[in-house]
Amino acid sequence: MKASCYHCSDEIVGKAILFDDKQFCCSGCKQVYQLLSEHNLGEFYSLEKKPGTKPAGADDFRYAFLEVPEIRSKFIDFENEEQTLVSLYLPSIHCSSCIYLLENLHKIDEAIYSCQVDFSKRLANILFDHRKLSLEKLALLLEKIGYSPNFSAQKDIKRKKDLSYLYKLGVAGFAFGSIMLWTFPEYLGVSEDNLVFRNFTSYLSFVISLPVLFYSASEYLISAFRALRYRSINIDVPISIGILALYLQSCYSIFTNNGPGYMDSFAAFIFFLLIGKWFQSKTYDTLAFERDYSSYFPVAVTRIKTNNVEIIEIDQLVIGDQIRIRNEEVIPCDSTLSSESCYIDYSFVTGESELVKKKAGDFIYAGGRIKGSAVELTVVKESSRSHLTQLWNKTGNKKKQSSEEDKFSLYFLIALLSISGIAAIYYLLSDPSRTIEIVVSILIVACPCALALSRPFTYGNIMRKMGKSGLYLKNVKVIPALHEISDIVFDKTGTITESDNLKVTYIGEELTSERKEILHALVKNSTHPLSRAIYQYLNQVEGSLSVHHFEEHRGQGIQARINDNLVALGSASFVGVSQASPIPRSSSYFSIKGRIVGHFVFESSLRAGIENAINELKSSYQIHILSGDNEKEKMRFLHFVQDEKNLVFGCSPQDKAHYIENLQTQGKKVLMIGDGLNDTGALDAAHVGMAVSEDVFRFTPNSDAIIDAHKLINIQKFLSLSAYARTILFICFGFSLTYNLIGLSFAISGNLTPLVAAILMPISSISVVFISTFGSLLKRS
Amino acid sequence: MGIIYLMLIVSLIIALFFLGSFLWAAKSGQYEDDYSPSVRILFDDEHNEQLKEQKNGSRKV
Repeated sequence: MKASCYHCSDEIVGKAILFDDKQFCCSGCKQVYQLLSEHNLGEFYSLEKKPGTKPAGADDFRYAFLEVPEIRSKFIDFENEEQTLVSLYLPSIHCSSCIYLLENLHKIDEAIYSCQVDFSKRLANILFDHRKLSLEKLALLLEKIGYSPNFSAQKDIKRKKDLSYLYKLGVAGFAFGSIMLWTFPEYLGVSEDNLVFRNFTSYLSFVISLPVLFYSASEYLISAFRALRYRSINIDVPISIGILALYLQSCYSIFTNNGPGYMDSFAAFIFFLLIGKWFQSKTYDTLAFERDYSSYFPVAVTRIKTNNVEIIEIDQLVIGDQIRIRNEEVIPCDSTLSSESCYIDYSFVTGESELVKKKAGDFIYAGGRIKGSAVELTVVKESSRSHLTQLWNKTGNKKKQSSEEDKFSLYFLIALLSISGIAAIYYLLSDPSRTIEIVVSILIVACPCALALSRPFTYGNIMRKMGKSGLYLKNVKVIPALHEISDIVFDKTGTITESDNLKVTYIGEELTSERKEILHALVKNSTHPLSRAIYQYLNQVEGSLSVHHFEEHRGQGIQARINDNLVALGSASFVGVSQASPIPRSSSYFSIKGRIVGHFVFESSLRAGIENAINELKSSYQIHILSGDNEKEKMRFLHFVQDEKNLVFGCSPQDKAHYIENLQTQGKKVLMIGDGLNDTGALDAAHVGMAVSEDVFRFTPNSDAIIDAHKLINIQKFLSLSAYARTILFICFGFSLTYNLIGLSFAISGNLTPLVAAILMPISSISVVFISTFGSLLKRS
Repeated sequence: MGIIYLMLIVSLIIALFFLGSFLWAAKSGQYEDDYSPSVRILFDDEHNEQLKEQKNGSRKV
């Protein structure tokens, strides 16, 4: 059984670092532990099960741009001679231990006065003495303990939430409580004898109800009005009819001194509707979905001008500027290479983890990450207009399909109008004086308020459940959309296969420890993903062999002189082997002194459990797999799909999008599961686009849903959850229809007193809330 | 019985006051973060440490 790191709980690969009787996976984790124990913050580990995150190994230049006054001032909330107040976005905040640690930051560094965490926004408000601690050093300290501040995404986070629904809720609740209190005598039937009192409270209720109608209920009325203007019906139309009927009838009652009307039910009704809306908004808060490209690019870059090196914001780059990009930094805009050569990691853009080598003068697209030594580039296109952002900014033109709910509203409205029509005719013939009263009562009581509540509560609860299990939805409309899926398209790299792990198998003569040392020394010098894979495979080897004449030949292999012998590692042709039979998989041959010792075979490793997961899905959905890789590994995935035609390799991002569009035009509803920006077009084209993310707080493309990579194998359970949501909805609909029928019988027979209305409507609302909440909780995940 | 009118008005004013404070609280950001305060109260605070130090201090004397 592998040990896990005391700090970050990751499995320890290789040798563990021991300190204080505990094991750590890397020196970063050990340092955080050291820091915490020195300052008596050990409680950090006792508050939660997996509190720590591995600190990213950063170089000291990361936050150098914070020393530039113009850039720095953008992040400062307040500053005087001694103190500075900053709000920093720390996406790694994820549990109560984080709050504990961050709020005790003052114990770690004296210059920090206080730190307060806003958990829902992942912000930390830090007040510190800038004479003793600079903003840059503060950022480095935060990074050291595992909470790297993200400055690029800052502007989005600071946007204040729209709290108007909360105000409307307050007003409606106030009115509801007050009016119901005054109308109480009416329920007991005693107000008939106290007409003065009744009139007084009726007028008071009228006044209080004005803000309820014009402020709290405004969005329903406006939405219904807009729908009617465009000649369509949505759920707000019957709701608004009910609201207006209720209100106008009550006004009529009050002004003709005929009774207090239904103002209490009116205010209660609006109140319950708004609770539903509030509940729905709560579920969105946990994960912000407005992700645009700007949070991926860095804030500032180093620009070189004749004799002056300065740090400036990316937006200020002009065509022709010389910029210097260091190891692991992202290239902010399209440019040409001024340095001799460089290696770029475009994995996030193309999905290919193999480094791309560029020579002086080559055109370089923005979005790649520099690996290796720093390089200098000449800017060709300014940041906002580069090729990638066009890809990323493509907003989907998803045609608005009329949802089930709207169709239902139409039927409901028709049924309602026909019933009122029939009742009207009947009463006109038998008792004309009561016609209007009856018709209005019908309109009031038949209102689908319970229906309007069941959706937000059911979907809200289901969304929350999914969020806890690792699937985050953009909004509630995704739940019914998931239920309609007929085909599932998987992207291979990073979704079915793990993006970083290559499975290495060695075939050949035995690898003695001497040979292992030689290999270790050789691959240490190369950043090629295959070299890195072999380096990991050789785990626990320590070598101190000196390496001379190291050469790396792109696409071929590497070689060097070690212990005076020529050692080579690479493709068959590079090492000098004639291939008798074509080897279907990626392999690297290893030779010493020109003689082949053996070869390594590389396979991208499948995500644990994914085979079973896809087998489960095969019975209900058509499975497709797309990939940008070449056909070498195609055979491996044949048994995943039902039809060989569903397996397409060698796809460019546009090909993937077209493939899905084809399926959709055939009437199929596609769920696309992919990762990386190269899938953006495809995710948009699909009925539901789901982005797989190893770290959900890092940047991912704008999609309908985000799924935690480790929870991808539960996809079948998520799909059945959306079906379950539908079942609960039907049950709720059933209940509300029952109430409607009961209420209708009261209304048609002319017995709808305010008392009856005041009982019936809240009960139907509450019972629907109850059913949907309990129903969602009952389902075991 | 006329007193009931006065009582109604007063209760209305009190209710309005509560509505006002709710609106003010929402506006001044008290509903922004509803998770951290629930966790914050569970931390051992400085007060306990100070008490411990006082106890130790008095013992030394």
